[in-house]
Amino acid sequence: MHEPEQEQVREAQRGDILAMSRLLDELSPFVARLCGGIALEHGDDAAQEALVQILRDLPTLREPGALRGWARRIAVREAIRHAQRGRRHGGVDAQAIDESDSRAVIPVHAADPAVALDVRSVLERLSPEQRAILVLRDLEGLSEDEAAAQLGVATGTVKSRLARAREAFRKRWTE
Amino acid sequence: MSGTPTPPSAPWPSAHIDAVARLRAIAAARPHLAYRERTVAAPFELVWSIFGDLEHAVPEFDRYVRWIRITARDGERLALESGGPVPGLRMRFEAIHRPGFCVMRAFAAEVGMAASPIGPAATRIAHFEGSRFLGPVGRWLFLRTIGGELETVARLCEARSEATARDAAATGAG
Repeated sequence: MHEPEQEQVREAQRGDILAMSRLLDELSPFVARLCGGIALEHGDDAAQEALVQILRDLPTLREPGALRGWARRIAVREAIRHAQRGRRHGGVDAQAIDESDSRAVIPVHAADPAVALDVRSVLERLSPEQRAILVLRDLEGLSEDEAAAQLGVATGTVKSRLARAREAFRKRWTE
Repeated sequence: MSGTPTPPSAPWPSAHIDAVARLRAIAAARPHLAYRERTVAAPFELVWSIFGDLEHAVPEFDRYVRWIRITARDGERLALESGGPVPGLRMRFEAIHRPGFCVMRAFAAEVGMAASPIGPAATRIAHFEGSRFLGPVGRWLFLRTIGGELETVARLCEARSEATARDAAATGAG
């Protein structure tokens, strides 16, 4: 993040509502993508709560250049929390499948509403933790180490969860 | 399927973060701001043509603002002056103003307005006011007025919406 953006973060940290507004312009699409992909029908609520926490806790961010990774951790945490709460209150309960093949992929057909609906219906049958791993690795392009840091788990855990998540997706997709 | 995953063109679900959600987030991060929302039975374009019309409509619903004048504009960045009930007392604001969203700050005041459509015939509106110098006392004072301001906005919008519908019906019948 270069200097003008760092200064905008500092202004927002000092409580400047115009700087906060510009920060939301930059962060909202990325928070929406994370929360929607992980929390699905609870994504709007998760995104709202994530933005509140980001702005409220912004003064605690020591390094403005670390904004995006810090905001991502908050968004992922809120998305998983909302998705888990939704499951406890009668949402779709996903089955984790322990498979050895880790080379499965997520279908990436753009601009086809029927495919979008199919992707969503398959995602609904994964757990929030599986969706989080897929979002961070396959949508956001994080490395396994970076995804592990975001989720607060060991890299080995990311590898095994990712393999199971991809296989669960592949299995559901081809049913 | 086999091979390497290829983000990011997948049609993944995305959350929806509208203008009201953004204003809520700013208000939640600034505890001295008084914040209220309500729903208006009028389409978004009509509502924002009133709620977002700083120079003409704000003095109609905010009794502490006698006039507002835009003194400079650079895209969505505005400079404003406003006058209130105390003669000669002016406030200078910097603002971001775009369809459905406006935040303004002066040395001693912060104001925000937002509107988001709920279908074709209703709109959610949100409003905050506050002063970092007045703190919780100021918040309590502003909370006593901004609810009434939103009621006035709703009344203005719904009256205009009804008038528009009547005109359209008369034109269609004529």
